[in-house]
Amino acid sequence: MSTILQELESQIAGLKTSTSKSNTGVVRECSDGVAKIEGLSDVMLNELIEFPNGLFGLALNLEETEVGCVLLGDFTEVTEGTEVKTTGRLLEVPVGKGLLGRVVNVLGQPVDGKGPIKSDVMYPVEKLAPGIIKRRSVNQPVQTGIMAIDAMVPIGRGQRELIIGDRATGKTTIALDTIINNANMNRDNEGKEGFRPIYSIYVAVGQKNSNVARCVTVLEEHGALPYTIIVTAPASESAPNQFLAPFSGASMGEWFMDNGMDALIVFDDLSKHAVAYRQVSLVLKRPSGREAYPGDVFYLHSRLLERSARVNEANGGGSLTALPVIETQAGDVSAYIPTNVISITDGQIYLETDLFYQGVRPAISVGLSVSRVGSAAQIKAIKQVAGKIKGDLAQYRELAAFAQFGSDLDAKTKAQLDRGQRIVEVFKQKNYSPLPVEQQVAMLWTIQNGYFDEVPVPRVKEYQDKFNEFLITRKEAVLKGIWDKKQIDKDVEGLLRAAADEFKSTWK
Amino acid sequence: MKLTKEVRKVSKELFQASFTDGLLDPGKVRGFAAQIVAGKPRHYVDILKNYHRLIRLELNKRHAVVESATALSGDTSETVLRDLKSKYGEGLTTDFRVNPDLIGGLRIRVGSDVWDGTVRGRLDTLDQQLATV
Repeated sequence: MSTILQELESQIAGLKTSTSKSNTGVVRECSDGVAKIEGLSDVMLNELIEFPNGLFGLALNLEETEVGCVLLGDFTEVTEGTEVKTTGRLLEVPVGKGLLGRVVNVLGQPVDGKGPIKSDVMYPVEKLAPGIIKRRSVNQPVQTGIMAIDAMVPIGRGQRELIIGDRATGKTTIALDTIINNANMNRDNEGKEGFRPIYSIYVAVGQKNSNVARCVTVLEEHGALPYTIIVTAPASESAPNQFLAPFSGASMGEWFMDNGMDALIVFDDLSKHAVAYRQVSLVLKRPSGREAYPGDVFYLHSRLLERSARVNEANGGGSLTALPVIETQAGDVSAYIPTNVISITDGQIYLETDLFYQGVRPAISVGLSVSRVGSAAQIKAIKQVAGKIKGDLAQYRELAAFAQFGSDLDAKTKAQLDRGQRIVEVFKQKNYSPLPVEQQVAMLWTIQNGYFDEVPVPRVKEYQDKFNEFLITRKEAVLKGIWDKKQIDKDVEGLLRAAADEFKSTWK
Repeated sequence: MKLTKEVRKVSKELFQASFTDGLLDPGKVRGFAAQIVAGKPRHYVDILKNYHRLIRLELNKRHAVVESATALSGDTSETVLRDLKSKYGEGLTTDFRVNPDLIGGLRIRVGSDVWDGTVRGRLDTLDQQLATV
C-alpha cells in the first residue's frame, strides 16, 4: 500500500513542474472509419494518433494540408472539431509465449474472456522483412499430417505455401489439420533433444464470427489451442482492423523466429484482406486500379509474406512459415489477387471443387499444386517412398481420362489404372485427423510395394486403417525405427516387410 | 469537399503568390480575392473556398493562443510574448484568453504545437496513467 502512496506522491510532485509539448490537430471530416485531420504538422507515416476516450487512429495519408487517418475502434463518438494529438509511437502489439492459447484482436487485446495477457514485449505491426544476410534456404520440414501434401507438395520451415480454391473446398481444414498435427508433435516430443516445436498463429480476416468460434472449438477439442495464437478481425470489425490483422499476426510470429523458434502462420484469407484494404484505400481517396484495388495491393501482400523466412544459425536459426489462403471465384486462378499471391509464394496447394464432390478429400489437384522449395526439406524416408507417387498419379489421371472412351485395355495400362485408383483412395483422409510422418511413410511404402494391389478399391481405406492400427498397436518398433532413423534402411525395410506380410496373411 | 485538380492548382498558385518576404501579405490576399470575384473564372467559388482554407491554415501557423485560468498580469504577458517571438520570429499574432477550467498554469498553442503546463492538463495525464494501471 505504501508503494502505491509513494508512486502517487511522486506523480503529484511531477505535476508541479512538468510541461508537456504535444502536436495536435482537429478532425475536419469523419466517415467510414476514416478521419481527415488538419494540423498534426509533425506526424509520421503509420504513427498512432490519439483521440479522446482512449481511441487510436493510424496516420496513413500525409497530404499537403491534412492527414488521412484510419480509426482503430468505435469511431461513433468522433465528430468534426474533435482534437487529436500525435503519440510518437508506431502501432505495436504484445508478443511472446503469453499469447499462446489466446484469442486476440488486431491490437493484441484478448477477446476470449480469459483475463489479461501476460506479455511485456511489444513488436511494431509494420516491420521490415529479414534481409538476405540473415536468411538461409529451407532445410527442415513442416509436417502437415496430410499424406497427399507431405508426399507430393512438401512444405519447409520458412516457406510460403498458398492454399487456394473455391469456397467450401477444405482450405481452412488443411490449415487447421497442419496446426493440429504440429501441436500433436509438440506434445509428444516435448523436451526431447533436437526436437524443434512449431507454434502456430491463425489469423482470421473478414470471417464470420461463427466460423472463428468453430475453429477455436476444433483446436481446443484436439488439444492444439495451447500451442496456437488466434488473431481475429471478423467481418463485423472495421475495414482498417481487417487490413491490419495479418500484420499483427506476422509480428507475433516474428517474435518466435527472432528468438530462435519455429512458427507457422495461417492467413485466412488474403482475398478478404485485399477487399478490406481496397475499402480503406477508396475511403482515403487513393487512386484505384484494376478491379478498383489500389496500385499497392501487390506490395501489401508481398511485404506481408516476405516477413516469413528461415534465418541462419548466426541469427538464431528460427523460422516463420506462412500458409496464406486465397478463395477463388468459380475456379478462376487467373483473377487479380490470386495471380498476385501465386507469384509471391513458393508454391500452391490447389483444391478442386469437382474432386471434393467426387469424395476425394482433401481435394488436392495434383497437376496444379506445386511446392518450389519444399522438397529440399523432406526427410529421406518420405523421399524414398514418395518420389514416384506424383508421377504415378499424374499418369493415372491422364490414362483415366482416355480409358473412359474404350473398354479394352492392355495389361500395363490396366495395372497403372488400378495402382492409381488405390493411391487416390490411400490419399483420402478424414478432416482433423492428421497422420504422423512415420505412419505416412509406412503406408506409402506398402502401396509402392504392391500390398494394396489385391485389395478391392472400395476396401482400400478399410485395409489402410486396419494396417495402420496394426502398426500402432503391435508393431511399434517399425514406426519408431522410421521416426528415429528418418530413412528406410535395410533393417527398417525388413521389419516393414515382415509386418506387411503378417497383416496381409491375417486380413480378410 | 471534393475539389478538382484545376481548383487545387489555381488556389495553390494564388496562395504561393500571396507572400512578401516570407510573410503573408494582406494587401495581396485582398487583391487576389477581388480579382477572382470580378473575373469569375471557372469554379471560382471553389477556388475562393480553397484559397480561404489555405490562408486560414497559414494564419493559424502564425497565431498563438495563450490560455490561463485567470487574467495574466502585464509583466507575465510581456514575458510570454517575448519568449514566443524569440522562438517563432516576428509576425506572430497573439490572443490571450481566460479559461477557469484550467485551474492553474498556462496553455499555449501555436499552429499545431501545444505546450501544456496547466493543472488540468496534468490531472488529465494522471487520470490516463491511473486508468492504464
